[in-house]
Amino acid sequence: MATISTFSDKWVLVIDDMEGMRSQLRMSLSSSGFAKLHLVSNIKEAIERIAANKYDVILCDYSLGDSTDGQQFLEYLRTNDLITRNTIFVMITAEQAYEKVVVASECAPDDYLLKPFTAAQFNARLEKLLEKQAYFAPLDRATDKKNWARVVAECDLMIPSKDKYFFELHKIKGSALLRNNQPQQAVECYRAILALRPIGWAKLGLARSLAATGEHSESEKITREILAESPQFLAAYDFLAKQLERNGEKNAALDVLQKARQISPGTMSRIRETSALAVDSGQPELAESIMRQALQKHKHSPVRQANDYAVLSKALLNQGKTSEALSTVQEAQKSFQDAKSLVMLAASESVVHRAAGNSAQAEIALSKAMSGTDLGSLPAATVLAVAEACFALGKDAEATKLLQHAVQNHEDDHQISQRVHAVLVASGKDANEASAIISASQQEIILLNNNGVRKAQAGELAEAIDMLSTAADRLPNNLQITGNAALVLALDMVKNGKTADKLARCMNYRETLIKKSPNYPKIEQIDNLLKQLKS
Amino acid sequence: MNDLYAAIVHDVKNQLAELSLQLGKRGDAQHEMSIAMNAARRLTEMLLIHKQDADLIRVNVDSVNAADFLTILVAEYQELYPGLRFEIDAARAPDFAFFDDALVRLALANALHNACRFTRTHISLSAYEQDQQLVIEIADDGEGYPEHILANSGNIPAAASGVGTGLGLYLANRIAKLHQLEGRHGHISLSNANGAVFRMFLP
Repeated sequence: MATISTFSDKWVLVIDDMEGMRSQLRMSLSSSGFAKLHLVSNIKEAIERIAANKYDVILCDYSLGDSTDGQQFLEYLRTNDLITRNTIFVMITAEQAYEKVVVASECAPDDYLLKPFTAAQFNARLEKLLEKQAYFAPLDRATDKKNWARVVAECDLMIPSKDKYFFELHKIKGSALLRNNQPQQAVECYRAILALRPIGWAKLGLARSLAATGEHSESEKITREILAESPQFLAAYDFLAKQLERNGEKNAALDVLQKARQISPGTMSRIRETSALAVDSGQPELAESIMRQALQKHKHSPVRQANDYAVLSKALLNQGKTSEALSTVQEAQKSFQDAKSLVMLAASESVVHRAAGNSAQAEIALSKAMSGTDLGSLPAATVLAVAEACFALGKDAEATKLLQHAVQNHEDDHQISQRVHAVLVASGKDANEASAIISASQQEIILLNNNGVRKAQAGELAEAIDMLSTAADRLPNNLQITGNAALVLALDMVKNGKTADKLARCMNYRETLIKKSPNYPKIEQIDNLLKQLKS
Repeated sequence: MNDLYAAIVHDVKNQLAELSLQLGKRGDAQHEMSIAMNAARRLTEMLLIHKQDADLIRVNVDSVNAADFLTILVAEYQELYPGLRFEIDAARAPDFAFFDDALVRLALANALHNACRFTRTHISLSAYEQDQQLVIEIADDGEGYPEHILANSGNIPAAASGVGTGLGLYLANRIAKLHQLEGRHGHISLSNANGAVFRMFLP
C-alpha cells in the first residue's frame, strides 16, 4: 500500500478548470501524503508553474472548458521540450470524452484516470507509475538529451532481464534507433516484437523503419493494414499522410488527415499539416475553415503560433479575400512580438499588400521582414515565406538567394527541398529549372566543403578555417560544414598551439553539433584532437 | 440500453459523484463516500460498456503486467470492502501478458463486485497461463453461482429486469471476445468450487 514517504517528496501539478474537482483532488492528494502540491485552473498558469518548477507528476483534466484540451496541451509540452520525459503525465477524463482521449496518438499520456475515482484507486495507479518512473530514469535522461545512441545502449542493458517492461523497452529502443539513423536495426527491433505479438505500435514502428530504409511500398501496405484493423490509430493516419505527401499525392494525404480529424478533434500539429496541405492542393476554403476553427478555439492559448495566422492569411488570399487576409496578419502582429514571428508576419503582410495592389506598403513590410534578422536562425518555413514575398515584388535574385540558403542549411531534408521546389514553381519557374536551382545550391555547398577539407589536408589551415567557419556561421543547421569547421580549428590548434579565440569558436561549433545530433561521428574526432591539446 | 437510458444513467452517475463529494467534506463519512464514489464509478463503467456494445470502443492490446493489474484492481475494492481479505496470486503469470488494460478492467469490475457481495471472508484473484491463453480468475467463498447463471454462462443477455449479474457477465463475455489472436477469441467461464469462480480467458 501507499507509503507516505514515497509521495511526500514528489512535486505534483494539477490542472483542472472545475473548482470542485480541484478541491477534491487537493483533499485526496493531501490525505495520501502529497505535500508539494500546486493546483491551477488553466494552461497559462500551468505553463508559468512548469517554467519555474520541476514536477514529478502532472494531473491534467482532458476537458479544460472551451479552449485547448489536455491532449493538445500535452503535445505542446512535449514538442517544446517543456517537461522532461520522466515527468508522469496522467490524463483525467469523464466517460463522455473517453473514446476521444484513448486513441493511439503520437503523444500519449502515461496513464488515464476515469472520473470519478477515489484516493485508493488513484494511489494504487500512481505507485506503479512512480515505480516505472524510477526504472526508466536513466533512459529518460538520455532521451531528454536526444542522445539516441545512449538510449539504445541503456535499452540493450535492460532488455536481457526480460522483465515486465520488456515491450516498453523495445518501443523506446526502436524509436531511438530510428532517430539515430539506424533504420535497419529498427526494423529488426520491431520484427522481434511482432514475432511475439502483433501489437499496433510495433507495426507502425516497422512501417516507419521500412520507409526510412527506402521500402516505401511495403511501409504503406503495413500502415494501411493497421488502419483497417484499428481505425482509431491516429498516429498511423499521420504517418500515412506524411508518406503520401512525400510521394506528391497531396489530395490523398489530405483525405487521410481528414479521416483522422473525424476521430479526434486533433492536435495543433495535425491541424497545421492539414491546412498547409489544403492550401497547397488548391483547397483554400478547407484550409480557412480548419484553421479559423482552431484559432478560435485556442484564442488565448499558447499553443498558437504566428505561422498559423500566416497560413490562414494565405488561405484567405487565395480566395481573393484580401482585406480579411490583412486583418488576420494584423491581429497576429498584436499577439506575437518576438523577432522570428514578426519576420514571418511581415512576409505575409507584404504578400497581402502586393495582392491588394499596395506595392509601396508591400515594400515597407518586406524590408521589415528582411532587416536585421540572422537567416541561419530562422525556421525554414519563415525563410520560404520571405522568399515568396520577394518573388511577389519581382525581387527574383533576393528570393533565389533565400531559397538557396534554405536548401544549404537543411541539406538532408527532403521535405524542405520539396517545399523550395514548390515555391520556385509557384513563382513561374518551370519544374526542371527549379530542380536545377536546388541541385546547384547543393553542389555549391559540397564543393565548398571539399575545398575546405582539401586546403586543410594541404596544410593551408588558415584558409580552411576561414572558408569553413564563414560557411558554418551562415548555415548552422548544416552539420557537415559545422563539424568540419570545428575539426579544422582543432587541427590548427594541435599544430600551431591553442588560442582562447580558436578554442571558443571550436567549442561553439561542437556545442551546435551536440545539440542537434549528439551522436554525430565527427564529435569523436574533434574530441580526440582536443585531448591532444591538453597533454 | 438505449440512449435515453444512457442519459438517465449518466445523470444518476453525476448525482452520486456529487453525493460522494459532499460526504467527503464531512470528516466522519469516509466509508460512505467510498460507497457512493464506487457506485458512480460502476455506472461510468456501464456507460462505457454500452458504447462498446454500440461498437464505439475498440480493443487496444498492449503488454500488461498481470500482477500490477490485479494489485490496482484490488485497491479499488479493498477500499470499498475493508472487512474482506483479498489474495493475489500472479506467480504463475508471465511478466508480460497481452490485453486491453482499460477494457478488461471494466469487464472484471462486475465479477469482482459480485464476488465482494456474495463472499463470506475472502476473495482470491489469480492470473496464469493455460493452453496458450492468459486466465484471470476471481474466486470467492460464498454460495456459488445459482443454476440459471451457470447455464447462461454469459452467453445470452439476461432478462430485461436484470441490471444485476446477468448483464454484467454478458458484457464481460463481449469484452473477452473482442480480444483475438490468429482466429482465437477470448471468453469467460463460470463454475462453482468453494464458492463462485469466474474465469476470463484471453488469447
